[in-house]
Amino acid sequence: MKKFILNLRLFWEGALLSYIALFHWLRPAQYLATMIWGPLASMLFFVFLGTYATGSDSASFYVIGNALQTIALSGIFGVTMSIGGDRWSGTLPYLFGAPANRFMMFTGRALMHLLNGVLGAIIGLTWGVLLFGLDLGRANPLALTLIILVATFSTSGMGLLMGCLSLITRNVMFVNNTVFFLLLVFSGANIELSRMPAWGQAISQVLPLTRSIASARRVIAGGSLSSVVPLLLVEFMIGMSYLLAGYLLFRWFEFQAKRRDTLEAM
Amino acid sequence: MKAIEVRNLRRVFRATIGVVRRKIKEIVAVDDISFEVYDGELFGLLGPNGAGKTTTVKMLTTMLIPTSGEARVLGLDVVRSAEALRSRIGFVFGGERGLYWRLSGYDNLRYFASLYHVDPAVSRKRIPYLLDLVGLSDRGQEKVEGYSRGMKQRLHIARTLLHDPQVLFLDEPTIGLDPVGARELRQVVRNLQAEKKTILLTTHYMFEADALCQRIAVIDKGRIIALDTPEGLKTYVKDLAVIEFEVYGVPSNVLEQLRAQPYVHTVSVENRDQKQALLIHSPRGSQAVPDLLSMMNGIRIGNVIVREPTLEDAYVRLVGGEA
Amino acid sequence: MNLKTLRDYGRVIFYAAEMALRSNLTDSFVLFGILVQPIIIALLAFWMLGDRGGEYIIFVVIGSGMTGLWTSCLFISGNSITQERWTGTLELMVSTPTPVSVIVIGKILSNVLQSLASMVLSYTLAIVIFGYVPTINQPVLFTISLLLTILSYACFGLLISPVFVLNPDVQRLQNGLEFPVYVLCGFMFPIALLPGWTTPLSYILSPYWAARALHATSSQWNGLGEVALSWAAMVALSLIYLMLSSLLFKRLLRRARLDATLNIQ
Repeated sequence: MKKFILNLRLFWEGALLSYIALFHWLRPAQYLATMIWGPLASMLFFVFLGTYATGSDSASFYVIGNALQTIALSGIFGVTMSIGGDRWSGTLPYLFGAPANRFMMFTGRALMHLLNGVLGAIIGLTWGVLLFGLDLGRANPLALTLIILVATFSTSGMGLLMGCLSLITRNVMFVNNTVFFLLLVFSGANIELSRMPAWGQAISQVLPLTRSIASARRVIAGGSLSSVVPLLLVEFMIGMSYLLAGYLLFRWFEFQAKRRDTLEAM
Repeated sequence: MKAIEVRNLRRVFRATIGVVRRKIKEIVAVDDISFEVYDGELFGLLGPNGAGKTTTVKMLTTMLIPTSGEARVLGLDVVRSAEALRSRIGFVFGGERGLYWRLSGYDNLRYFASLYHVDPAVSRKRIPYLLDLVGLSDRGQEKVEGYSRGMKQRLHIARTLLHDPQVLFLDEPTIGLDPVGARELRQVVRNLQAEKKTILLTTHYMFEADALCQRIAVIDKGRIIALDTPEGLKTYVKDLAVIEFEVYGVPSNVLEQLRAQPYVHTVSVENRDQKQALLIHSPRGSQAVPDLLSMMNGIRIGNVIVREPTLEDAYVRLVGGEA
Repeated sequence: MNLKTLRDYGRVIFYAAEMALRSNLTDSFVLFGILVQPIIIALLAFWMLGDRGGEYIIFVVIGSGMTGLWTSCLFISGNSITQERWTGTLELMVSTPTPVSVIVIGKILSNVLQSLASMVLSYTLAIVIFGYVPTINQPVLFTISLLLTILSYACFGLLISPVFVLNPDVQRLQNGLEFPVYVLCGFMFPIALLPGWTTPLSYILSPYWAARALHATSSQWNGLGEVALSWAAMVALSLIYLMLSSLLFKRLLRRARLDATLNIQ
């Protein structure tokens, strides 16, 4: 029990710390630009591109896809920054020297970005309602909330993996940007999966977000919660797999770094 | 001929302080200074950190507009004739910045040569010569990021010589260097003197100014408090002898008592490992020792040395024991 | 200005361009912006618009290339002075007999030319995906339009780089300026889709006219009149940008010498 409380505290401290760090890095204007203006601008671009391709009736298809894509912004970039930040600020050796449970420390840092991701999706859908006449009237609110939470979880899982990569490679922003844009293509945010070649569809099946976007479209069109539960379960499993892969990579990195004494050099 | 003429130069910075109630605070960085540097001279501007040395150099190199007063370099006004002046002077600021780390030392020089409009035919010959002058010939093709701090600093000196300027400003060129690096850099400065350049060097190391400069201006809190040759500066304390007591802690009331003696000019304490050195300037020299010792009754004392004052002692006296 | 000065400036522009190329080649952020991102946008657009046939392929090639040009202009050219400040070389630049603007021109020209790689790459991608070589409708007029495009992007870069140094707050919003210009300039879809009040905004952005000229001469030929109008608009806007830019450069240098703000330590 004591151990549990200890870990819980570790989790919260990690969460709090990463949030403070986030706001230190982002000034309010920049936070607004990142959270509201940035996603809106890219949504506008893809919605217009989409309606140019398939007609103005299809706007909601793109709005939903891009609103959920916003989650990946917090999930991938936010989480990566909160882990990679240690390396940049030179605090990594102290972290590894601490006796704390790494898993808790690690996931705690992701928490605030989860909240940011949820907020991002809500803002995105709101823009859809305000600007493109998105109709949420038939959507089951509970189902939609669940979808957003699951999508946030799965993209953060990927973010944790990327964050661990950031401890190894110097070009993590390059990798992150590329992953974000690949998600934009292969998650089906902007294209019917059936229009992609077979190899593209195969990629989309192992990515987070694909099933959340499909579920969101179904629920907003009036589908029931039970009709999307199977999709969400798989999405959850995918998120879990990335999370686990990230954790294992983290432990491996820690082991290697201690063995070769490369903590500072990395 | 005078290479540099400074008349009543003054520079005030305004800074806003406080977040809620914003107040404007005026900071006088350089406060009405005047001096001249002769052609071919190596002139030192010596003072503690924050004395106004860098601000003075920035004004003389056209980087900063003075609040009042005037300055001429090579007869050109630093504000009105800034453009014409730039191609005839060179400067180096201490520190590692200001180079392209991803490029080799050679490429850095080649690029800056083009910015100074040096003819490529000339720079092809001049760059290897300069690399040699600053002792970097064998490392010139390596990327700057692999250079030591001293090597970067010497590359900066080579950079500033590309266009063969007549006047050089070296602002704390040895700052942050290890003793070997600093010694190498001082040798480079001596080589420059042999090339008949006029050099204005700033430093807060007394021995550096003593070893290199022909004349020294001591600057403190934005004002020049003494200007003379190193020998001349030593005459500020010529009439005095320095009595050094090796001690292990001195109570402050004893220091007060020592200071109160009419024949004692300054009293300062320097930490030396586990011991301290109590330095007393006095015209009475060795004759004062017995009296001084009697005042320090009960204090453990090691060696006692009576010596001639050095330039360092003059500096300590000038800046009021704060150096 | 005499011949010697011109030759000296020419050499500075050449060296500055070479330096920009060398530093960009090793900068993963640059490589992402001008290679990866436009390619992914092109891939997506090929799949989204592919059914519309051959003309749309060249439309996507040009459009995605334009996104690469703008991203490079915004982040790389836009930072060309700020970056010197970070390395501590801005102070040295100002003190050389070469005007800072000449050095910046060299860097920006180099950036614009490099970012044409986006267009070349998406052209190659089109061949790989569709196994078909897209053709340009009016090659001569297209080439002239491309030259004017390069010029107008360079002038745009010259305008925004001093803005960013003078206003750090604007620079913080840099990220938020990337996609709006994609939208407003009709790179990948006609601006007729946008609400009417945004049209004047499009008109004052030279990339809009560049996209219009390039699309018109490559796939959407509407007669010489439209192309001529776009050219005239590009030239006029570029001149305006240049004038504003030279004012900003003067202000930048004067302010730097008054407040000693050239060097951030």
